[in-house]
Amino acid sequence: MDDGLRNELSKQGVVVVKLEELYNWGRKNSVWPLSFGLACCAIEMMAASMARYDLSRFGAEVFRPSPRQADLMIVAGTVTKKMAPQVVRLYNQMPEPKYVIAMGACAISGGPFKQGYNVLKGIDRYIPVDVHIPGCPPRPEALIHAFMTLQRKIDAQKLTGPDRARHLNAELPSEFPVPLFGEHDLVPTKNPNVWEPAVVVR
Amino acid sequence: METLEQIKARAEATVPGAQLSVVKNDSPCAQHSLLVDVEHAYVVAQFLRDDPQLRLDYCSNVTGVDFLDAELSEKVKVKKVVDGVEKEVEEVKKTKRAGYLEVVYHLYSMSLKHGPVILRQRTPGRADPVKVASLTPLWRSAEFQEREVFDLYGVLFDGHPDLRRILMWDGFKDYPMRKDYREPDDYEYEPTPHDEVLEKAKAHLPKQEVKA
Amino acid sequence: MPGDKHPYLFLLVFFVMAVGFAVGPLILAMLWAKLFSPAKPGEMKNATYECGLESKGDAWVAFKSEYYLYGILFLLFDVETIFLLPFCVAFTGLSVGAVLAMLIFVLLLVEGLAWAWVKGVLTWK
Repeated sequence: MDDGLRNELSKQGVVVVKLEELYNWGRKNSVWPLSFGLACCAIEMMAASMARYDLSRFGAEVFRPSPRQADLMIVAGTVTKKMAPQVVRLYNQMPEPKYVIAMGACAISGGPFKQGYNVLKGIDRYIPVDVHIPGCPPRPEALIHAFMTLQRKIDAQKLTGPDRARHLNAELPSEFPVPLFGEHDLVPTKNPNVWEPAVVVR
Repeated sequence: METLEQIKARAEATVPGAQLSVVKNDSPCAQHSLLVDVEHAYVVAQFLRDDPQLRLDYCSNVTGVDFLDAELSEKVKVKKVVDGVEKEVEEVKKTKRAGYLEVVYHLYSMSLKHGPVILRQRTPGRADPVKVASLTPLWRSAEFQEREVFDLYGVLFDGHPDLRRILMWDGFKDYPMRKDYREPDDYEYEPTPHDEVLEKAKAHLPKQEVKA
Repeated sequence: MPGDKHPYLFLLVFFVMAVGFAVGPLILAMLWAKLFSPAKPGEMKNATYECGLESKGDAWVAFKSEYYLYGILFLLFDVETIFLLPFCVAFTGLSVGAVLAMLIFVLLLVEGLAWAWVKGVLTWK
């Protein structure tokens, strides 16, 4: 159906959508985050969900206390190496489709504590992150921006075909290996299927 | 409150055999501290807590300090005969000092409202096992902090009720706050490195072909 | 014509509608899963404990029986409060029989407390 006919129909009060659009429209407007905060960014996350910034305008007011009911994990704060296996395990326990927002400098790279002995340099070393927000901490507006970015990303996901969304593809994994506590560091230090260091040329 | 010298004199009188010395602090805060040998630390600490004039009933802080092996240089004035005339000449005298670990306790008195008295225990060396006496039986507040010192510096506390790692995981082998700790090399991706990080990130840079 | 229909036909319609509302979305979801969205169960995903930590040890541990006795004793005071409050409010308008019945009730509760006291349940070991 071409856009002209669709416009004509909508003027007559008939809405025509593809199944994919309907599916994505429904999903993007009811993304339930996991109520899960690791450090000070979690305070901003709480502020974003409260009355002033009101994340519920975007269908994300229901912070679920259980990973079984959540669609979105907002990694809000410093991920210590001791906490990283728990974060990955929680992510694994979320049902598909699931998304991750890495909130704040610490969650995306270790931030100000990156040279610390117990700080993971970015949660994207172990789980696939959909949206990164920089900031220390990011303001609630930034979180809302990240959330809207995620909504656009959900909206663009394909229902069929080879480039369909991960949760629709039986060959792609929904669980990611949990790092183990090693003698000097986490083992392995990264999941090469998820993260490869970008080549920095200088 | 008494001066540290007075406390030292009374502690030495009460605890026979205790080797106490006052460590001077030359900075403006002038917080001098009392160094006690490991064998008598517990008894001296008990004296500090129970003595009616001191009653240091609150241990606010326990921390560890790592001193590496070092070469100390000291300026000494030496009389020398130079060109037949006796003169005072400054000479730099160098001494080698073996490294050691220290555990520092900050003690206050809640009932008499004075403090702090700073108590130090020093280990003979940095090689394992480094043992000091645990003061947790005297001050319960020292329990977690001694565990932290054990976790980060590897100091073993004799008499601690529950000496486990507290911040790092149980299988961890290193002591991250020791000065010779080398963290794992995870500097493979550094978008904006500088200083130390730049040095570490250079090892991961791809070999660049030099254009002729 | 209303006469042609069975008088209870509407019940059947309601029943079919109710079952349809309940089962319809389930069938839709199953169809959706079969067509588009494959199930991806996993050992970790299906684990019982869901706070990120692995569960250690056995869940079947013995509780101290003191907890049970404390629960019973709490109930004793709880019930007593609930009954005593209306009793106090309506005290002046009650007959002698009602007051006696209430006293017996309170006495039973006091007896329970006295029994627990004598048994030494109130001291935590």
